[in-house]
Amino acid sequence: MKRVLLVNWEKCIGCRTCEMICSLLNEERCNPTEARITVIKFEEKGADFPVYCQNCEAPACEAICPAKAIYKDDITEAVLVDIRRCIGCRMCILACPIGGLSFHPARKEIIKCDLCKGDPACVKYCPEGALEVVSLDTIGVKRRRENIRKFSSYLDMMTGGKE
Amino acid sequence: MLKIVIDGKEVEVEEGLSVLELAEKIGVKIPTLCYHPAVSAYGACRVCIVEVIEKGLSKLTTSCTCPVESGIEVKTNSEKVKKTRKLIVEMLLARCPDAKIIQDLAKQLHVEKTRAPQKNENCILCGLCMRICREIIGVDAIGFANRGHKRKVTTPFEIQSDVCLGCGACAFVCPTGAIKIEDVEDKRKIDMWHTELGKVKCERCGRYFFPESAVEYVKRKSLQDVDGFLKLCPDCRKRVLANKLVCGW
Repeated sequence: MKRVLLVNWEKCIGCRTCEMICSLLNEERCNPTEARITVIKFEEKGADFPVYCQNCEAPACEAICPAKAIYKDDITEAVLVDIRRCIGCRMCILACPIGGLSFHPARKEIIKCDLCKGDPACVKYCPEGALEVVSLDTIGVKRRRENIRKFSSYLDMMTGGKE
Repeated sequence: MLKIVIDGKEVEVEEGLSVLELAEKIGVKIPTLCYHPAVSAYGACRVCIVEVIEKGLSKLTTSCTCPVESGIEVKTNSEKVKKTRKLIVEMLLARCPDAKIIQDLAKQLHVEKTRAPQKNENCILCGLCMRICREIIGVDAIGFANRGHKRKVTTPFEIQSDVCLGCGACAFVCPTGAIKIEDVEDKRKIDMWHTELGKVKCERCGRYFFPESAVEYVKRKSLQDVDGFLKLCPDCRKRVLANKLVCGW
């Protein structure tokens, strides 16, 4: 079953550990601009949100790539770039609706989240457990359970804890 | 399946490969400058030259354009190949003495200096930029002009191209780095193609991020609705997505 990288942004504290570990493992140095994941901060709302390539079902980057260098990995179902076939036209960056791909200025390569071959390091190192890898068939159950929890706490708030 | 002998090793391969692709597959290194897996082979740089022995007859040919055939024997590093390759690199070095990739290649093949009169070019006329532009991008903005020693790659009539997307693929694939792309504020300049393109300004942060013609190309080719985000730079797209999910749609 397909596994996806899921984010619970309510849990994210904006520490940017995911950016650091992503850059360290992929580029061998800690430079957030070279990370495949970016934490967007909303200081006035007190919210943080990690954004990364969603490894879409029908990727816009794969569709636009004129050199057919972008493909889906059979096992992890991550969207990968064949660096040898890539011609560097950067149309994928332009076609991605969420800015999931970027261009490494020094190495001259397209960089994007490859799910670390199915075992993302950001998940392992996230101190708050805001990131997790979930099998696609359990997401629905997870979401429902989460919503029931929210609804019951809302009910508690309304009734002041009474039945 | 075809049976061929490469450097004394017998290998079985499927049809449709070139000798260079086969060598790469089995881990035999053949130096090359103008080969790119995404486009058709052209055999322009001549560096990937190999010796092919067919029916007892030996010939030198570029491995990128030589299809694998049953019963041939390939020598990728025989004395004959080494000698010829050295001469080819020596001549390339005479044309482009400043290109790093050619300097490295010359060092590898123990070519110290070139006997031919030196030029001060960067382009080796391999036509890879032209093939990428024609076959992959499909706009055909550049091509060869003139003949003989005046030959060069340029836009039609050597004036501003009206079809160039400014995508930068030509500069990316150029083996010698001869094509320079200059990004100045709201313009992208490619001096070699006599072209200057205006860039799109991000609606949110005001940064200029991509040439207008490239944005038009994506608009034309995309299957999905792209109007919502094409005016935003990739960084702002992330912010907009996060904002939507945090604050509701």
